[in-house]
Amino acid sequence: MKHKIIKKKDIAGFINSLIGEYRVFAPVQKGRQAFFREIGSGSEVFLDYQNTTNSPKEAFFPQSERLFAYGLDKKGLKLTVPSEEKKRVVFGIRPCDARSFSMLDPVFDGEKYKDVYYLNKRAATIVIGLGCNKPPATCFCTSVAGNPFSTDGLDLLLVDIGEEYAAEAITDKGERFMEGREGFGEASPDNMVSMGKVKESAEASMSPSVKIDGLSEKLPGLFDHPIWDSLHEKCLGCGICTYLCPTCHCFDIIDEAAESTGERVRIWDSCQFKLFTQETSGANPRPAAKDRLKQRIMHKFSYFRDNYDQTACVGCGRCILHCPVNLDIRRILAGINSI
Amino acid sequence: MVDNKNWNPKIIAFLCNWCSYAGADLAGVSRIQFPPNIRVIRVPCSGRVNPLLILASLQHGVDGVLVSGCHPGDCHYLTGNYMARRKFTLLKSLLEHAGIEEGRVQFSWVSASEGNRFAEVVKEAVENVRALGPARKLVKTPLSSG
Amino acid sequence: MQDFSKVPDDIREAAKKLLEEGKVDLVIGFEAGTVPLRSTPCFIRNKDDVKRLTWNAFCENNLARYLRKRPEGKIGIVAKGCDVRALVELIKEKQVPREKMVIIGVPCRGMIDRKRAEREVEGLQIREAVETEDRIILKGDGFEKALNKDEFLHQSCKVCSHPNPAMYDIPIGEPVKEEAPKGSSEVAEFESKPAAERWQYLSDEISRCIRCYACRDACPFCYCEECFVDSSQPQWIGKSINASDTMIFHLVRAFHMAGRCVDCGACQRACPMGIDIRKFLKKLDSDVKELYGYEAGMSLEELAPLTTFKEDDPQGFMIEP
Repeated sequence: MKHKIIKKKDIAGFINSLIGEYRVFAPVQKGRQAFFREIGSGSEVFLDYQNTTNSPKEAFFPQSERLFAYGLDKKGLKLTVPSEEKKRVVFGIRPCDARSFSMLDPVFDGEKYKDVYYLNKRAATIVIGLGCNKPPATCFCTSVAGNPFSTDGLDLLLVDIGEEYAAEAITDKGERFMEGREGFGEASPDNMVSMGKVKESAEASMSPSVKIDGLSEKLPGLFDHPIWDSLHEKCLGCGICTYLCPTCHCFDIIDEAAESTGERVRIWDSCQFKLFTQETSGANPRPAAKDRLKQRIMHKFSYFRDNYDQTACVGCGRCILHCPVNLDIRRILAGINSI
Repeated sequence: MVDNKNWNPKIIAFLCNWCSYAGADLAGVSRIQFPPNIRVIRVPCSGRVNPLLILASLQHGVDGVLVSGCHPGDCHYLTGNYMARRKFTLLKSLLEHAGIEEGRVQFSWVSASEGNRFAEVVKEAVENVRALGPARKLVKTPLSSG
Repeated sequence: MQDFSKVPDDIREAAKKLLEEGKVDLVIGFEAGTVPLRSTPCFIRNKDDVKRLTWNAFCENNLARYLRKRPEGKIGIVAKGCDVRALVELIKEKQVPREKMVIIGVPCRGMIDRKRAEREVEGLQIREAVETEDRIILKGDGFEKALNKDEFLHQSCKVCSHPNPAMYDIPIGEPVKEEAPKGSSEVAEFESKPAAERWQYLSDEISRCIRCYACRDACPFCYCEECFVDSSQPQWIGKSINASDTMIFHLVRAFHMAGRCVDCGACQRACPMGIDIRKFLKKLDSDVKELYGYEAGMSLEELAPLTTFKEDDPQGFMIEP
């Protein structure tokens, strides 16, 4: 694949050239944090970040999404389904987040059931990633089959080599996108060397912090183990870890009605909420916080492996960074490994 | 959307059964004129009015809410209106602090024998809301497609 | 000059003694976190584990949140000023029996707002945070930056006027100096803005709300078996991300806190989106003080303002034609 470069100072201009033809989603800065949002101008793009608080799964799987709207008019029932998706660019996301798309795809693009809402967005999107030169200590992508410069899920990968980004086309889609684009110049041999060095030092800086091997086989046997009693204790039972997680994808479908009009909406749901498994009878198969924390670990490291042959975790570290009580998934896994 | 030229305030009035509702009824049978902008909901006691009911009303697009109960000391349930008084003081303060216009949410004491007073309260409530224009802030609008 | 360096050891000593003597079955406190600038709640049941207990400027959570409905007989809690005030109100609400608690009361010098501290070295990763008497030194690859603790405390700590536990069984260290109340000036400053601006500010803040309910779940007082947001009959607010529903969530939660909130800041600290949640809560704190002379958490005898009334309560807000 051909390598090109784009100067950092040309990024805003490049993004501006896309807006109009594409809807662009990129990291932005607000207050002290980076967020992943749809942007209206290249000047909003913020790439000097570790990772966004929210994950790019929102680009394909929004937190609230109208499935259809309905109303009654003189002729009777009128249904409105969302119109066709405009072309999109997801720009500047981290490789771990791009990998998460490979985990969401088999869920929404199943053999029997294909989620049109997700798939239409997916098909209309070019994904441009930004590799991690300095992975934070809370990242553990290399422990879960990832890499700070992984190309999984990306059409294009940008590598920060100082004044410019080296741009690597990963897919045909990415290569065609770069072809003839203003702002992209040829990469020199020096650029290529810099790129290699940056990748090397980033990978070297990551130490394996989590052992995943054997977990999926071990976990089912630990369903009733007393270790869960202590692991869950400080958990507040909020939805932060699941909502910020790039691979979590549980949802609910609700109807919002107002007299004779309304809409059916898909919304995120979280296995950490008590209501998630609450039955009409009043019974709840996961009545305690302990059960719900166990479910999260089981799902990510065991059940998802059984169903899709992947560990549903990309090691982005958001759950570690944003948990209000510093409940650290690495500690939980270490605890389980120690049994 | 609201047609401003023809707009008339719509106010939900929670009236306690024993005093204010009876007072409103008295106003009616006495043929005392008052603005037709209120929609009455009868409750057993002003203390029964959950702040969520007031907020839900605003969410559904009413322009104002009035809650009226018995005068302090006269509550049919002895202390309901005393509790209501504290609740509503704080609710009103919080809503205004958040920027909801002063006058959207109003409270009064009207007894069963005060038909005239009820009419005056309604007149004042309606004028207060009319001056504010249609309520927009808490109105729930449908989701725009994501 | 007070010596605070012995506080962690004193806490460990106290916890060890309580467990050894069988006076408690469990001690809830803090231990070192897994990332810099963080400590994390811990649950100690064995006297050999007390060495895990720590105390520093990163112990920001309100541990009173963990006290309700516990199966253990007696519980020790390492509690700072706001934790104890929360416990006082929980006792009055009959959620935690006083006799069940052994309060290891720790005078608090305030907790660091780590997000603000991280901003100071924006883009660079902090590998270690060292706490000294009055500074936090942030260390990373190729940099070291010292911050003044006082400047980087959480806002709720900056205006706190009750850092010393109002109630305790085992005092730790020396009380810290109590400042005059400053919380009301925050409210006054916000109120000086026009209503439309206040609405805009709050709307902008909650536009980031993802309804994770961390604010609710971190709060010691949000313990309803069914929270109003989960009610389906009637459904007060919808579950999708909607500006009106989200605003009502925050307004009603604030209202439910009237006369109970002790301004521990746990809600704001829990929020992953950095929303200014205290803006919703501070107003009613100052209202109950002004109108009913009540301050949450300061008395086991005084009735909470929304559980009682006076015949001459203010009613100037009512229509009087």
